Amino acid sequence: MSRINLNKIKLLLSLLFCTSAFASVRDTDKRIVDVSGNPIAHAVVKLEGQKAIFVDELGNVTVQNPSERIFIFALGFESRELTWDEWLAEKEIILQEKSGILHEVVVSATRTERSVEQLPMPVTVLDTEKITQTGGIRLSEVLREQTGIQITSDHGSGIQMQGLDSDYILILLDGEPMIGRTAGTFDLDRISVSNIERIEILRGPSSAIYGSEAMGGVINIITKPSKNRANLDLGMRHRSFNSWNPFLEFGVGKKNWSSQVFLDHFKTDGFDLTPETVGQTQNPYMASTGQLKVTGTLSDKFNVSIFGRGYKETSHGILEANGNSGTQILDLANNRTDFNLNPTLRFKPNTDWTITLRGMTSWFSTNAVSKFRTSNGIFDLQEFNQFFHRTELQTDFMANPRNLVSLGLGQQIETVEATRYDGSNRFDAGYVFVQHIWDPRERINIVTGLRADFHNQFGSRLSPKISGQYQIWDNFSWQASIGAGFKTPDFRQLLLNFNNAAAGYYVFGANLAAEGISRLQEQGLIAQILINPVTIGDLNAETSRAINTGFRWKPTPKSQVHLNAYHNAIDNLIETAPIARLVTGQNAFSYFNIRSVVTQGIEVDAQIDLLDNLSLSAGYAFLDARDLEVIERIDNGEIFKRNAQNQTRRVTRADYGGLFNRSRHSGNLKINYQERTSGVDLAFRAIFRGKFGFADLNGNLILDDEREYAPGWVSFNLTASKTFGNGVFLEAGGTNLLDTVTPAQPNNPGRVLFIGIKIPILNLIN
Amino acid sequence: MKTIQKFAFILGAATVLFSCDNADNNSPDLPLEAILVEDLAAPNDLIDRNTNQVLEVRPFQYFSLEKNELVAENEDWDLAFKGTTIRVNNTKNVNASIVTGIFEEIKEVPASATFATDTETSFAIPTGSGTGWYNYNSATFTVTPIPGRVILVKTTKGNYVKMEILSYYKGNPPLEQIDPRTTPSAHYTFRYILQPNGSTKF
Repeated sequence: MSRINLNKIKLLLSLLFCTSAFASVRDTDKRIVDVSGNPIAHAVVKLEGQKAIFVDELGNVTVQNPSERIFIFALGFESRELTWDEWLAEKEIILQEKSGILHEVVVSATRTERSVEQLPMPVTVLDTEKITQTGGIRLSEVLREQTGIQITSDHGSGIQMQGLDSDYILILLDGEPMIGRTAGTFDLDRISVSNIERIEILRGPSSAIYGSEAMGGVINIITKPSKNRANLDLGMRHRSFNSWNPFLEFGVGKKNWSSQVFLDHFKTDGFDLTPETVGQTQNPYMASTGQLKVTGTLSDKFNVSIFGRGYKETSHGILEANGNSGTQILDLANNRTDFNLNPTLRFKPNTDWTITLRGMTSWFSTNAVSKFRTSNGIFDLQEFNQFFHRTELQTDFMANPRNLVSLGLGQQIETVEATRYDGSNRFDAGYVFVQHIWDPRERINIVTGLRADFHNQFGSRLSPKISGQYQIWDNFSWQASIGAGFKTPDFRQLLLNFNNAAAGYYVFGANLAAEGISRLQEQGLIAQILINPVTIGDLNAETSRAINTGFRWKPTPKSQVHLNAYHNAIDNLIETAPIARLVTGQNAFSYFNIRSVVTQGIEVDAQIDLLDNLSLSAGYAFLDARDLEVIERIDNGEIFKRNAQNQTRRVTRADYGGLFNRSRHSGNLKINYQERTSGVDLAFRAIFRGKFGFADLNGNLILDDEREYAPGWVSFNLTASKTFGNGVFLEAGGTNLLDTVTPAQPNNPGRVLFIGIKIPILNLIN
Repeated sequence: MKTIQKFAFILGAATVLFSCDNADNNSPDLPLEAILVEDLAAPNDLIDRNTNQVLEVRPFQYFSLEKNELVAENEDWDLAFKGTTIRVNNTKNVNASIVTGIFEEIKEVPASATFATDTETSFAIPTGSGTGWYNYNSATFTVTPIPGRVILVKTTKGNYVKMEILSYYKGNPPLEQIDPRTTPSAHYTFRYILQPNGSTKF
């Protein structure tokens, strides 16, 4: 109790002995820091009528000549304006982070850390809290509650964003592209939610920094970072359909090194929406994920990290096949594995330069066998093996606080082997991208990007994008971006060598069309060649041009409204078309760049904190997606429909409902409430999906008949959760509480109830 | 053939009663009768889906548009049906052409229509989804006649016929009631108008 505070004595002494001259020098010597006291090395101090002064590496700045007013600003922080007296009064000038929320930092939009508020393009960030509120176990269950996003069911749970299918949305894991698509769909159920720190949703084409696939947008999944301390968390979640999800997070950390292990296992019995038929809608499956993240500081200039992830999924089920001897039962067994290895080395010679060398190596394979139950003979066997490697060097140079230039260089190798493709196939690609983040004036942010891709199959391609933001008022900023996107044809479109024996048709990838047709010709199977196969084969990338524009508005400090309107013009979409008629009357098909599609819409999100413990948010998305060729044929009077009385008439534009599987209207309403006495957090969500075209029924292949729509529906979801003082987390809840199901949505099992617990073991011990 | 319905307008029927010789009249005054043929059953061969082998060959169903009835193969048939395949009688010089338009609006064989007969390697009415008279929807496994496809046939007697296929399923059920697993297929319902005077007008 009698300890003397030396600091106080020092202070006292200095006060006693200081002269006034000495004091004035000290008072002009300031430090610019963030709320946690860390220096902001890129801050700028501008005195009225004088030149701007840059702070040093430690955030220190010395002002020689007094001035009436002093402005302090730094990228990512709220600017401050001080009088000379105020300047003198503070020793440390604290700048608030611009968004006010620390974790609303976005990496994927510019490949550098930026706060959402600074980004001139539409970005949504889902933090741990929002992820937890959904009660989701697989990634699709988190994303399906977000405005403007639909989860479609086509060879897996795919994301649809801005009316574009999963094929055109790039999925990143900690910033690195994930591979492994089936029929174009990236199955979001492959990703376990348990150790996701946050998810960034970037809308609109981003090929200017990411190249192929980032045509409609990017989803970046950021896993929990390794911490500089030890932790051991055990969790278990249980839900309907006998689903179990135990998981474990284990972290150790020292001063310079830390590592994090994550293990997750998911098992479910699946569900069946059509009990009258043999086989389940979703077969029982098991999925295991293992992840290891090691990060280390080699020196104050070098950082290194290694991220490894393995995934294995097995499922089994039965199917009924119509054979010659009546129907037969088939036993199905499917395996899916993927493995990623992602080392990163970061060199930061000084505050202005960051050089990052990354590698990403991925293996993805699937194996599907179906056997006759009676004879145990193999009915079908499909294998698919994909390998992807990328090396990338990125250099970020902060020329001054208002200019950040990034330059990236990369090289890619991709190989694929599959039952339906001949031999082993390899693609090589390289790319270079440059990006300039520029704040020309205080209220203006401009991001310009340009990427060139060089592909051994498709030649080269340039993708530009420019985005700008103008903060019109303190609480209102307007954004606009124009960009180009592309997607290179996938393996199937190039390499498929497929014969549907049951229906008797053939499908050849563009690379194999000529060869396939000549083979069929030799066998005498061709009746007529419709398109000379020599002219096939130059399959080009699918391309898009898009404009996104909208605003972020804070009507009051406790409310905000975000709006984005977009228009995507997509050309060269790849479709199959017959290339030859066979003697059997069937056709042989190949792939062509034939379709043009437009998707446009508006998405709005509004949120308000009504009370300290009650907040409300609402989202609405309007989508208009149509095929331009269909419109042209309608205008030419070439498309007809028949009514129930078998009278034929021409389809009009008013009949045309656009692309299938798109809801014109969708939205959500979310209420978050914390019950004060118990401390229980309640998250209630109503997720609405408007009616959408399901399938053509009247034979003209377009959506133009009321009967071709699946009805709209609302999913009412509720999650209750509580985190105890000792860190133990409990949750319970349900999704789709009204148990609404429709065969048009095979990924919706109906009502799901869940409970879960997470125990921080080390917390409890200590 | 179970039922053959005739749609004749009362006016048309009346005109028939008072009809005069129209041989010297190029444009027919008679509104022609639309004939509806229901549930012409023409099952396809039994094919092993796994091996693509034909296990049981089934016969074509030979139909005379002139007589509006099924006939034997050696008689004057115009069209022959089996599964989704429709043949024309190339030994009797039957020709066909597919045009796009509304059945009622086609008052005359268009000059642009290209008639062909079946050959060794091709069908006058092409088979395959989207190329001939039907679309096959691989999502719903349903065969649907393409609305607006009208088949023009020059019969064994050299008369022109316009024909529209309405359904491939038994009982011509409404679209939403078709379940490809349970609704019997290869049952043609179609309607046609035959111009008996050899002119190209209907």
